[in-house]
Amino acid sequence: MIPRYRYVIPVALFAAACRAGAPRAELPLPPPAPAPGDTTCAIAAGRAAARDTVRLAVTDPVDPGHAPLPRNDAERLVFGQLYESLIRVDCQGRPLPGLAATWEQAPGDRWAFTLRDNARFWDGAPVTARDVLASWRSHDATLAASLTVTGDRTFTVAASDAPFQRLADQALAVTKPAPGGAWPIGTGRYWMTSGDPASPDALVAQPMARSGQPVVKIATGPAGGARDALDGGADVLITDDAATLDYARSATGYVDVPLEWSRTYVLLAPGREKSVIGDLRLESLREAVHGDARPAEWSGPGRFWFADLPSCGAQAGRDTLGASARRHRIVYNQSDRSAADLAARLVGLGVLGRGAVAAGVPASAFAASLRAGSDAAYVLELRRQVYDVCRAALELPPWSSAATIEPLLDVRSHAVVRRGIPRMTLDWDGTLRLAPP
Amino acid sequence: MTFRARLLLGFGAVVLVPLTVFGLRIRAVMANRLTAEYQQRVAALVSVIRADLDRQSAGIALRLAALRDAIPRDNLFRTALQGGERTHLLDYAGDAMQLAGLSLLQIQDESGRIVSSGHFRNEYDRSDPALPRLLATAPAGTALVEARTAEAPFLALARVDSLRVGGRRFTLVGGIAVDSSFLARLAPDSELTVSVALPPDTSAGADPATQVVSAVTVPFVTSGDAARLLPAHIVVSHSLASLMALRRGVALSFLVAVLVTGLIALLLASWLSTRISRPLTALAAKTADVDMDRLDVAFDSDRSDEIGALSRLLGAMTERLRAGAARLREAERRLAMGDLARQVNHDIKNGLIPIRNVFRHLGQAADDSPDRLAAAFRDRQATVESSISYLENLASNYARLYPQPAGESCDVNAVVRETISRVSDTGQAELRLELAEGLRPARTDALVLRRILENLVGNALDSLAARAGHVTVSTAANGQGGVRITVADTGKGMTQDELNRAFDDFYTTKPGGTGLGLSIVRRLVLDANGALRVETEPGAGSAFIVELPGETW
Repeated sequence: MIPRYRYVIPVALFAAACRAGAPRAELPLPPPAPAPGDTTCAIAAGRAAARDTVRLAVTDPVDPGHAPLPRNDAERLVFGQLYESLIRVDCQGRPLPGLAATWEQAPGDRWAFTLRDNARFWDGAPVTARDVLASWRSHDATLAASLTVTGDRTFTVAASDAPFQRLADQALAVTKPAPGGAWPIGTGRYWMTSGDPASPDALVAQPMARSGQPVVKIATGPAGGARDALDGGADVLITDDAATLDYARSATGYVDVPLEWSRTYVLLAPGREKSVIGDLRLESLREAVHGDARPAEWSGPGRFWFADLPSCGAQAGRDTLGASARRHRIVYNQSDRSAADLAARLVGLGVLGRGAVAAGVPASAFAASLRAGSDAAYVLELRRQVYDVCRAALELPPWSSAATIEPLLDVRSHAVVRRGIPRMTLDWDGTLRLAPP
Repeated sequence: MTFRARLLLGFGAVVLVPLTVFGLRIRAVMANRLTAEYQQRVAALVSVIRADLDRQSAGIALRLAALRDAIPRDNLFRTALQGGERTHLLDYAGDAMQLAGLSLLQIQDESGRIVSSGHFRNEYDRSDPALPRLLATAPAGTALVEARTAEAPFLALARVDSLRVGGRRFTLVGGIAVDSSFLARLAPDSELTVSVALPPDTSAGADPATQVVSAVTVPFVTSGDAARLLPAHIVVSHSLASLMALRRGVALSFLVAVLVTGLIALLLASWLSTRISRPLTALAAKTADVDMDRLDVAFDSDRSDEIGALSRLLGAMTERLRAGAARLREAERRLAMGDLARQVNHDIKNGLIPIRNVFRHLGQAADDSPDRLAAAFRDRQATVESSISYLENLASNYARLYPQPAGESCDVNAVVRETISRVSDTGQAELRLELAEGLRPARTDALVLRRILENLVGNALDSLAARAGHVTVSTAANGQGGVRITVADTGKGMTQDELNRAFDDFYTTKPGGTGLGLSIVRRLVLDANGALRVETEPGAGSAFIVELPGETW
């Protein structure tokens, strides 16, 4: 649903500016020094006032097991406060200091990094170059192999064909395992406590330093209850529910901020060489979903990152299962309403022929089916912007290189922001962070 | 086939056949009654379902009518039709369907294009003009339709209505799901099952052999490009499982009854046949023992029934056989004695005729020429001597019919034991031995002594006949250096007349006896230089006392 109400106009202008300058598939080469900070990517509704607590409300589940790599908007919001990569990339694609305070070109086609002086894990231990190495070893062995420790807080990394901005990928956030196996211990400005006894369903993130930052309480709930979250006093609500957004626009004190087109729904059909949707007009799909959506389009140079999988060296394997062995259905994660709407629309349009059905399955069953490629087609959302195509390709099933991946719709969430809350900034990958005072 | 087997079969037939007929009849009557009851229940449910379908159809019509009135009043709906926010239009049928309590709601425009669908939101813009058209032609305006959601097809009972908004005509297709819960509500009885049989499978959909079946015909709109109106059936069936279970229960009870009855009959027949066949078997065994040498088998019986009468008849017949056999043996004995006498007569005559001829010749010579008598005697002397020699040989040959006693030392006790052991094998009566210790040997032939004892003991046993009693054989020294052997019995004894003739040849009181036994015994005892005497008393028994000379030391 396209916003067209008066409350949204200032924010829309901001979003338009952000979209206009945002990097797409390929990032420009970074400058050797941190980009100067500015407020281009800041989200603020009104004048910020000092607050002890900021209440965030999300309509997607937050699973600590996914940390630090988010799988949905809710996790992106929560993990963004807890974990840090070496650098950040702002909404315009400019690298900013993260865990690393400075970096420079080093001899031998390498980048030399120096960690922040006050970088510490939640448990108080200082972050060293060896901690970065240990963390990367568990996430990206190749990258870790290119890291050379040169000091307690300094190290070098070999430059590669991958863009420099990939170091901002949340998958490369520096963490270490927690003794209890719960939230990994991060280095962000917030650390996750055991929760709020008064509201057991809420997550509570405490600021690491007494620097005037508020406590963050995150309430998770179903999309249908998002309006209740607003009525309950939420300061920021991340949602794509059209009815909630309608309600928020009518409520006083809130501003609807459309975020980036961060996700693209695709139809993934194993064992097919030709398009499944054919000449179907994607415009007819837009009305099938209830969220803010548009026909999938790639407006920058190149094309969707998932169209470049062969460039990562993935070979198209032979289809060993065969079309007859696959169930004649379009499968989706039953907790994803937009995927359900899209699958239903595709069935209604008969893209797989008569007799095909849509089947919503639990997340675990969906993952298993997707891994096996045992159904005729899958509707799933993919990140629209990725720092590293080949890293992102690892999140797809191995048979994807021998499948058709057809983009259907781009979708985005909205941040419903209460006026006067502390400033928030938007990164290139859509991560919202509470800005330091 | 044995008498016992026949008796068992007879019992089985008498007991089991009526029981079987009774059981089968019970089962048949019970099955017929229950089947008729089931048919009544099925027919009643069919009537209820017809009424319920009518009521449901009326309910759908009312709800569609309410929607028909509400839709034109919805400004957002009108706005959406005029090109406004289409999401409201797409979501309208879903919200309206839920509020109206329907499971199926479709809003089509005049061209049959789906404007909004409640059960399948995202089938919008699909064209399906046949559905409302066929529903409108269905009897009573209601039909089963195969609707579709994204996930699966489902069956619904649907009606059609129409309305006009902004000068455009729209059709409403609304219905309720005919699913398992709907069918379960139709059949509150757990034994009754309601199912739907859709074309082309218009059969009852149930096996009449296991179910009582009836059906309600309902029009059905087929899906697809060639949509048609065909009859479908709501099938009501009553499972015969409970009847089958009842039948099995009855069959089991009947089987148990048959087995118990059969067992009782078997035991009864066995007892009865045993009671009847055992005396018959014993009678047959006794009869098998009867032959010409063994006619002393007793067929006495105290029974008063047919078996007793048969036993007594066999006893009388055996008695007659016994008399006939005695007569036959007497005739044989007489015939044998006659043959022997004729042979002796013939043999002696053969020896005497030459002698008589010699004497006639000598007499004639004495009369005619006495001087030639001596010469004649000499001439015929050889003939006389030859004849005498012939007669002597003849006598010797006849004498060989009896053993020639040998004078030798004989252990009397050993011979007595050996003889008694053989005799006692017959088991006719009790035999007692009273043998003296340290008895000196007698001088006699052991073979002769055995023959003496065999005769005396045999006569003693015979004297007992069928009476209870015993025979005692005792030995003792006779005080004269000899041995005394006494064979005493407790038999019938002898009268004085019988005693006087006891040792005569050919005198006997026993049927079949030769009358030579005691005469031979006496001669053998005398040949052994012994003595024989008898002590007897009629009715008390007899004692034969043999005195034999002892061995000289």
